[in-house]
Amino acid sequence: MPLIRKTPDPLSAAPPDLASVATAFAHGTPEERWVAARSAHDIPGSARILAEALIRERNPRVREAMFTSLACIATAESVEMILPFLRSDEAHFRTGALDALRAMKGTVSPYLPQLLEDGDADVRLLACELVRNLPDDEAARLLCALLEAEREPNVCAAAVEVLAEIGSADALQVLARCEERFSSTPFLLFSIKVAADRIRS
Amino acid sequence: MSEFLYRRTGMVFTEAKRFYVERRVVERMNATASGSFASYFAWLRSDAQGEVEHFVNAFTVNETYFYREDYQLSCLTNELLAERLRVKKPGEAIRIWSVPCSTGEEPYSIAIWLLENWPKVDEYEIEIVGSDIDTGVLEQARGGVYGKRALMRLLPPVIEKYFAPVQDETWKILDDLRQSVRFTRVNIVDPEETRPHGQFDVIFCRNVLIYFDDASRRIAAENLYENLAPGGFICLGHTESMSRISPLFEVRRFADAIVYQRPVEGVNG
Repeated sequence: MPLIRKTPDPLSAAPPDLASVATAFAHGTPEERWVAARSAHDIPGSARILAEALIRERNPRVREAMFTSLACIATAESVEMILPFLRSDEAHFRTGALDALRAMKGTVSPYLPQLLEDGDADVRLLACELVRNLPDDEAARLLCALLEAEREPNVCAAAVEVLAEIGSADALQVLARCEERFSSTPFLLFSIKVAADRIRS
Repeated sequence: MSEFLYRRTGMVFTEAKRFYVERRVVERMNATASGSFASYFAWLRSDAQGEVEHFVNAFTVNETYFYREDYQLSCLTNELLAERLRVKKPGEAIRIWSVPCSTGEEPYSIAIWLLENWPKVDEYEIEIVGSDIDTGVLEQARGGVYGKRALMRLLPPVIEKYFAPVQDETWKILDDLRQSVRFTRVNIVDPEETRPHGQFDVIFCRNVLIYFDDASRRIAAENLYENLAPGGFICLGHTESMSRISPLFEVRRFADAIVYQRPVEGVNG
C-alpha cells in the first residue's frame, strides 16, 4: 500500500518577549516578522509596538498578522492603535483596520458614536459597517441619528444598507426624511426604497 | 431568521427548508426556556450565553459520511495533485490533512479515493493525517467501524474491497487502510497545536470555520496558512468562503471545485 504513516518532528521555539518581537519587526525577514506578529498578542504591552511596526510594514501577509494580533488583544488601547488606520490613504490599511475592528465587537462599541460623527466622511462610512455588529436596536438608533444629519450621500447609502438588514418600522420615517433631502440623488433613492420595502415586508 | 443565519454563517435556508429551520428553532427555544419566538429571537440577537454558537451548531449537525462532497476529491485527483507534483522533490511524500476529521470518514475517503481514482498512487508516498479537537471522535476514527448510513455513497465493490463486515449493517475498515491514516488531536485556533503537524500539500477543512467568531476565524486562517506548503491548497465546505475570512489565500477555480491556495513564496511574501 503506497499510503504511509509517520510522525513529524516536533517544533520548538523560545517564548517571545517584547524585545525580541520589536527586534524582529525592525530587522527580521518577512517570515520572522510574520512569526513575531502572530505571537505578539500574548505579550503584555505589545499593542503600541505592533501599531508602530504596522505603519512601516510593506508585506501584506505580515500586515494581516499584525492586524489579527491587535484584534486579539482586544483592549481599548489596541482599538485606539487601529483607529488611525481607518484614515489611511492606502486602501489595504483601511480594509485591514475595518476587518480587525469588526473582530473586536464589544471593545470597539464605545467608539462607534464618535466615529459616526467623525469629520472624515470615509471614516463615517466605514463606521456604518462596524455598527452592524451591535445589537439591532442600538445599531438602528445610531444609524437613524446619523441619517438625520448626514450630508454625504455615500455615507447615507452605507447606513441605509445596514438598516435594510436590521431596521424596524421605527426607521421608516427617518428614511422618508432622508429621501426628501436627497431627492436628486437617484442611487440613494433606490437604496432607500429597497430598504423601506424590506423593512415593511 | 434565515437571513440572520445567513449573515452569521453564509448558509442559505430557503422556503423549501422551512420545516428544517422550524424544528431547530423550536429545539433552541426549549433549550433556552424561551416562552415565545420573539423572546428567543431577542435572546439570540443579543448572543446571551453564547446562544449564536448553540444556534449555529443546531444547524450544522456533524453529519458525515464517506465520499461526502466528492467533487473536491475529484478536484484533488484531477488537478491539485498534478500541480503539487510539479514542485515536489524526488522521494518527497505528498501530505494531506483532514481537519476536523470527526469520526474518520473524510480521511479514509481520501485514502480510498486515491487508491481507486489516482493512477499514480503507487508512484508516490502519500501521508494522510486526520485531526480533530474531540478525542472521543478520534477514538472512533481509529477504530474504523461504520454503519450503513456512513457507507451509503460507496458502491458495493468498494465496500467489499476496503471493509470487512462486523455484524448486521456494520463494517470495519481493513487494517492496512486503517493503519495508513494517522489521527491526532488539534485545536485549529491554537498555533502551538497546529504547527507541530508540519506543512501539507492539501488541507481539507470543511464546515468548521463557520463555528468561530471573526477573531478566531482569522487565527485559524493564519494557522492553516502556516500548515500549507507554499502553493498548497485548502478545500473548505461548500457554504464557506476564505475570501470573507482572510486575504492570505488566492482563489483557484478548477473544473470540479473552487479551492484556495497559499501563494508561492515571493508573490505574497
